[in-house]
Amino acid sequence: MNTLPIDEPTILQTLRQVIDPELGCNIVDLGLIYSITITGSNVAVLMTLTTPGCPMHESIRWGVRTALLDLEGVDDAQVEVVWDPPWNAAMMTDFGRRATGVGRI
Amino acid sequence: MFALIGLAALAVGVVWLVARPSLLAQYHYNQFVIAATHLFVLGWICSVVMGAMYQLVPIALETKLYSETLARWQLGFHVVGFIGMVWMFDDWNMKQLGHFGCVFAVGLGLFVYNIARTLRRVPKWNVTATAVTVALFWISLAVTAGIFIAIGKDNYDSTEGLAASGGVFVTWLRSVAGFMSHFDAIGAMHAHAHLGSVGCFTMLIVGVSYKLIPMFTLSEVQSRHRAAWSIGLLNIGLAGSFMTILLRSSWKPVFTMLAVAGLGIFGWELIAILRARKRRTLDWGIKYFLTAVALLLPVSALAMVLSWPRLPLNPFTGQIENLYGFLGLIGVVSLAIIGMLYKIIPFLVWFGRYSRQIGRVQVPALADLYSARLQAIGYWSYLAGLVVTSVAILYSNEPGVRCGCSLLALSVATLAVNVGAMLTHLFRPLLKPLGFPPTTVAKIA
Repeated sequence: MNTLPIDEPTILQTLRQVIDPELGCNIVDLGLIYSITITGSNVAVLMTLTTPGCPMHESIRWGVRTALLDLEGVDDAQVEVVWDPPWNAAMMTDFGRRATGVGRI
Repeated sequence: MFALIGLAALAVGVVWLVARPSLLAQYHYNQFVIAATHLFVLGWICSVVMGAMYQLVPIALETKLYSETLARWQLGFHVVGFIGMVWMFDDWNMKQLGHFGCVFAVGLGLFVYNIARTLRRVPKWNVTATAVTVALFWISLAVTAGIFIAIGKDNYDSTEGLAASGGVFVTWLRSVAGFMSHFDAIGAMHAHAHLGSVGCFTMLIVGVSYKLIPMFTLSEVQSRHRAAWSIGLLNIGLAGSFMTILLRSSWKPVFTMLAVAGLGIFGWELIAILRARKRRTLDWGIKYFLTAVALLLPVSALAMVLSWPRLPLNPFTGQIENLYGFLGLIGVVSLAIIGMLYKIIPFLVWFGRYSRQIGRVQVPALADLYSARLQAIGYWSYLAGLVVTSVAILYSNEPGVRCGCSLLALSVATLAVNVGAMLTHLFRPLLKPLGFPPTTVAKIA
């Protein structure tokens, strides 16, 4: 049982280790994380992908859950991929846009 | 496996052209050109297209492949069938060609059944699913037509005894041969070639473009009506072209124009998709693919010229026909396939080696699995090879064909080295400890 407190910035920083291999950028700066809910040592992540039918769907979801479970203070993690609202490039950070060659929105 | 077999066939085919440039510098109706064409079409293009469809159709259409076992069985039939066919074309043994053709057809039947059952699971029907479905129909018809042509060319001397004893199959073969005698050999061959190259390969290029180009460039289909019209017109044009080529009808230009109009609408929609893209930088894989699509312009122009009924039948016209086939298969289809291979193979390698490591260690991006520099060298040498070979074909110049095909061989070599680099990751993965990328303020989008 982990006892260390966890917070959103720590989780976001952890999720920056998970990349979308096609775009070569981490999923946080791509704007794929919609929400993070922390309940004690449980973390629920609501996220999306750049396109429905993305071939990396399961790998990225699995990677997010693995990264969360490896985080000290997290005992359980749920990752849900949703398509509404659909992802768009305006959700990316400046770093994400630079890393992927996306023009300014 | 399909992709590796395809690449091996491409390498053998290109070396064959370098060693024997007369294949492209002389009229194409001879056994060696037909053998080489089937090596490229069945060995290279079909192998990669079938392997890619097993991977991409479930992904693009958000479903699962019906049966991997059937796909493995098909691989066996496919390899034995196409190697035997190329060998028998080279040897001009029509009887054995028919046998190997049937082996290939069994494999194709398994492929069509497998993909058709997969398509039945598609949750949301769209233009890509329609294009894949009609491509399956056209390739089935192309192989059937090919077998009928082979049946029509055999003399059945060795079946006298069987026929006398009432062999139903031999009687059927002879009736097919009788039916095929109503058509001239070159017209039937050209009609058969169009079913495969336009009906299956071009149809798939058009259909998957509507899914993959938006996916890779972060864009969207801009007009579903345009997409539907492009597929519809291409189908009507092809159906009419098949009949008019087979019957040498003067209506050929009408149906060619319809097919070209379909491709024109496809180009219009593709430009709209690219204009709306969020990802401004296009990677080399996409550049290969889009260049292949752009080559549809000269190929369509040549199709219009060749469909003209009053075109004089002289050696130069024959060379234009060679150029049309060369640019269609080695230009449009092959370049599109190479572009997509640069997407498919890294994905398969990454998925096999890194998908369970993500989140635990730093894994490479797909673009880190190969050399972009080699991709660029391969791209420019391929284009140079196409230009030099095309000019040499028009002038029936064998040294020129050899020079151009050597450039193509250089490009294929860069592809082979890059594929080798990708496959190396299966045995020597590139894993680093986790680290935090440089970034901006942490916040949810």
